[in-house]
Amino acid sequence: MADLKIQGLAKSYKDVRVLESIDLDIASGEFFTLLGPSGCGKTTLLRTIAGFQHQDRGEIVVNGERIDHKPAHKRDIGMVFQDYAIFPHLTVAENVAFGLKARALPKSEIEARVAESLKMVRLDGYQNRLPAEMSGGQQQRIGLARAMAIRPTLLLMDEPLSNLDAKLRIELREDIRDIQRRLGITTIYVTHDQEEALAVSDRICVMNKGNVEQIGTPFEIYRKPLRKFAASFVGTMNFLPGRIEGGRLIVGTQSAASPANESGPVEVAIRPENVQLSLGHADSEAIALKGEVLKVTFLGREAHYTLKTEVGEVVAQVADPEHDFIEMEGRPVEVRLPLSKIVLFRSNGDVIGAGQA
Amino acid sequence: MMKRRMRFDIWTFVLIAAWVILIALLIWPLSSVLHASLIDNETGAFSLTHYVQIATIKAYQRAIGNTLLAGFGGMAGALILGVTLAFVTTRFHIYGRALIQTLAVVALVSPPFIGAYAWIVLFGASGVVRKGLATIGISIPPLYGAAGVILVFAFKFFPHVFLITSGALAAINRSVEEAAESLGVSPTKRLFTITFPLILPAISASALLTFVLSIADFGTPRIIGRDFNVLATEAFNLYGSEVGGNPGMASALSIVLIILSMIVVFGQRWVLRKNVYHSNLIKKPERKRAHGLKALGLHVLAYAIVLIGALPAIIVVLFSFRRTSGPVFQPGLSLQSYERVISTVSDPIWNTLIFSSIAVVAIVITGTLIGYLISRRPGIATGALDALLMVPYVVPGIVMGIAFITRFNEPPLALTGTGLIIIMAVFVRRLPYSARSVAAALKQVGPNLEDAAVSLGYSPGKAFLKVTVPLIVPGIMAGALMSFVTAMNELSSSLVLYVGSTITMPVRIYLSVMDGEYGTASALSTILLTMTVAAVYAAFHLSGRKESALL
Ligand SMILES: Nc1ncnc2c1ncn2[C@@H]1O[C@H](COP(=O)(O)OP(=O)(O)OP(=O)(O)O)[C@@H](O)[C@H]1O
Ligand SMILES: [Mg+2]
Repeated sequence: MADLKIQGLAKSYKDVRVLESIDLDIASGEFFTLLGPSGCGKTTLLRTIAGFQHQDRGEIVVNGERIDHKPAHKRDIGMVFQDYAIFPHLTVAENVAFGLKARALPKSEIEARVAESLKMVRLDGYQNRLPAEMSGGQQQRIGLARAMAIRPTLLLMDEPLSNLDAKLRIELREDIRDIQRRLGITTIYVTHDQEEALAVSDRICVMNKGNVEQIGTPFEIYRKPLRKFAASFVGTMNFLPGRIEGGRLIVGTQSAASPANESGPVEVAIRPENVQLSLGHADSEAIALKGEVLKVTFLGREAHYTLKTEVGEVVAQVADPEHDFIEMEGRPVEVRLPLSKIVLFRSNGDVIGAGQA
Repeated sequence: MMKRRMRFDIWTFVLIAAWVILIALLIWPLSSVLHASLIDNETGAFSLTHYVQIATIKAYQRAIGNTLLAGFGGMAGALILGVTLAFVTTRFHIYGRALIQTLAVVALVSPPFIGAYAWIVLFGASGVVRKGLATIGISIPPLYGAAGVILVFAFKFFPHVFLITSGALAAINRSVEEAAESLGVSPTKRLFTITFPLILPAISASALLTFVLSIADFGTPRIIGRDFNVLATEAFNLYGSEVGGNPGMASALSIVLIILSMIVVFGQRWVLRKNVYHSNLIKKPERKRAHGLKALGLHVLAYAIVLIGALPAIIVVLFSFRRTSGPVFQPGLSLQSYERVISTVSDPIWNTLIFSSIAVVAIVITGTLIGYLISRRPGIATGALDALLMVPYVVPGIVMGIAFITRFNEPPLALTGTGLIIIMAVFVRRLPYSARSVAAALKQVGPNLEDAAVSLGYSPGKAFLKVTVPLIVPGIMAGALMSFVTAMNELSSSLVLYVGSTITMPVRIYLSVMDGEYGTASALSTILLTMTVAAVYAAFHLSGRKESALL
């Protein structure tokens, strides 16, 4: 049980600024996910928290106590490494027991925890294998089991599931979440998989170029992006150029009453699942654009229609497509953007308050 | 810029201790050589006269040219042989790999001085092989002069290259090579664009080592070179001769030799400036099975290299069982030489064993710690340490010996005539072997592994012992092997430092050869050879690496 506060954390490699100034406030037992494009500094942040490298500026506080000057091995922070960092000279069981031995636990306890952790990552039975005889995904799971086994006060996971098949990923992420809840381990989790982030996190932190873009619950991140970057990075989002003039939101030749009382150029953002397709009547609560179906993409439980409109392409999602959806290609449709579902951004990328669902 | 906190841990202590050791055993003694080179022999006043002479006298200039020729020639030859052998044995299934490795070790430990003598016996003006070939109508020139020296260097020093690069070749992540293959790169091209660049640290380190060994060797050019004079022989003559000795000049030549070597050292640094970690030890390359003519060719190639390399040692062993009468070999076999050795000269055997064991233990411990500092704690103090550590590499043994005698002659450091001074000289001379080989091994162990251990609760010191050390055991062993072998066979510094009671086997062999007692010399060499090989195998056996003695 531990809460973590990070204030003004900055880190450079030589003259390259990798972390600008990070502020985080993570509650005890929270499952906190870092989401951001490759190279934005996620691993750097984790390594700094773990104490493998020292920050240039800023504070790291765990349970009200600054840990910046504690050596890494005294921080009791477990880490799952992006490149696994499995000890190649130790067997699977020895790898997992490694951290437990440092804690001078009784032998029986060590055995029990090794067995439990290996079971959790579905590697029971592999105890005596050497890492060289394991697949990439299996090696990754050794690293996961090894870090979970010590039940640290703080657990850092750097893309722990990146190398697994989709099914195992979902199983394991649920298991990680359950154990994390049960033991109340405060966890920082890095992933590139947005669905994974949305599914398991208590809160998500969207990072870009060494800065925090937005912190919020999965719902907030998905539905109420505060900046254009978060909106475009998480999930699929349509962006259309628009303009607010005299209380009206104008998109192309169409307009509707503006949900925001500002004026000037704006970007109109809407998620594909909120775009409505209809073949007839207009609606005052939406912007209605004339469109034509350019392309249909089948995704399994849904299909995406790429629509050509006067202001650019719009992707719309159709749930549970029927077998004849393909015939839609080339057909004219009306594309409706409900005002209650659109998000407006200023040209500097900030969201325009009010009006979102 | 932010102020960095000074972090004081075990490695800071190691750094300070390393500096103290190197200042006491390296800088301080060597400063005497620099000093001697800068004063006039007669007046004792400061003077550049020796350096002026080197710059103006033809013979010295030729010596410099010859030194470079021998150095680069020996290096090129040793690289070609060593890398070829390493590649063939790590990448292909070769029958009798243990035998090949043994022969390589034998070539490596070919006792000093007598090795050159053995080449003369075989390929000299009246050499056995030359004469034999002449009777069937093939005539080859005698093995004298520059070509002979280079050839002998190549076969004498290739085992160093072989040991260093085969370790690196065996540790390349297989996926990297497979990736290249999948990108459509032909095997040969892959060798030059992926494999060799990846083991560049090992290749360039062994290139440097063989260059330095070649230019510091004085026995080979002395016996085989004839009028092929190099800096080492000139310096040795000027130090050693009773008449016409010129310590100032000898010191100046030594300094020139050291400077030449340092230039090459910095060249290697430059080549490696962009060197990075290769972090995955998990997928090791596999040995391929070759078939038909290709398999035959690979076997012939591998065995030819090691057999020729081991030839001098084999000759010496054979000669040790020949009947002698005084300095002359007679027909027939006998244990005569051994009887004489056992009855008169058993002291050197014990001295050699004791001195080199103590030196090697100290070298391995110190070298491992320093090697770690160099590759994992970059900084100004470690960088300078790393550069300084190249100096023992490049200082000829004779020079080191004389520097020690000069500095450790008076109380409170009156060590001349003790075994300790011989041990110290060997220690500082061979410390770089261990430190470099550990640093090279560490380059292939990702630093993340140690971080992982630390995150699991181990202190940095413990993480090093539990995770890093087991992974770099091959590197530690390779360094220990080389320092042990060279310590047992150390001739040049001991030659200056020994007194009657601390005489070692190589010195005894040298004196025997000089006195013309080839029988005794051969017997002693054979004993030394046997001891070295036995020690090497014992060490590997004890460390539990039975499957392969050297890799
Ligand atoms: N040791 C280093 N020296 C210099 N630059 C580095 C070093 N390590 C990382 N960087 C740089 O710092 C930036 C952040 O790297 P980091 O590894 O934190 O990214 P990341 O967000 O984890 O990316 P990914 O999602 O691809 O793992 C990158 O631009 C990277 O090039
Ligand atoms: Mg990363």
